[in-house]
Amino acid sequence: MGVDIIFKIAAIGILTAIVGQILKQTGKDEIATLSTLAGLIIVLLMILGMIGDLFTAIKTLFSF
Amino acid sequence: MDLVYKIVAVALVGCIATIIVKPVRSDYAVLIALASGVIILAMLVNYLSSVFDALKLIINTTGISGNLYSLLIKIVGIGYLIEFTAGICADTGNSSLGDKVLLGGKIIILVMAMPIVTSILQIIMELLP
Repeated sequence: MGVDIIFKIAAIGILTAIVGQILKQTGKDEIATLSTLAGLIIVLLMILGMIGDLFTAIKTLFSF
Repeated sequence: MDLVYKIVAVALVGCIATIIVKPVRSDYAVLIALASGVIILAMLVNYLSSVFDALKLIINTTGISGNLYSLLIKIVGIGYLIEFTAGICADTGNSSLGDKVLLGGKIIILVMAMPIVTSILQIIMELLP
């Protein structure tokens, strides 16, 4: 739970953009879209994990 | 006291990361904003539990019935979550959805607050001659 998660997400974002550009240049467009999609899914899974932890913490704290 | 610095640090880093990533990939900017919001809320949650223990102590000494306290805590929790979700909706640009979430939260809190109102009225009726 720190600032490193933000750096990870930003890094994944920039990396997927670069990989997408490279793949587009070399003509493999469908792999480019797949790579950007994969990057997005990885980031979403990370964020889902964090939100899950947050909601369990809130549930225990507010005794829902 | 260091929590203030942590929150400020996470918020600033989140904003800067959003600015950097926005031109490259705009959908990641929203995800970074969401992630930094979650981090800040996670830091605040265990900070808030000390407040609730003190509140419980006060409630016990004044003799108000226990379920009012748990109701009060639930209402605060609902407000917490609704505010979080409405913020995310506003971030992603669909503020109308955020307003609907806020409306839903207000209605839920109103419904949950009914027992408190009735118990207060009963207390007042007892006081009157």
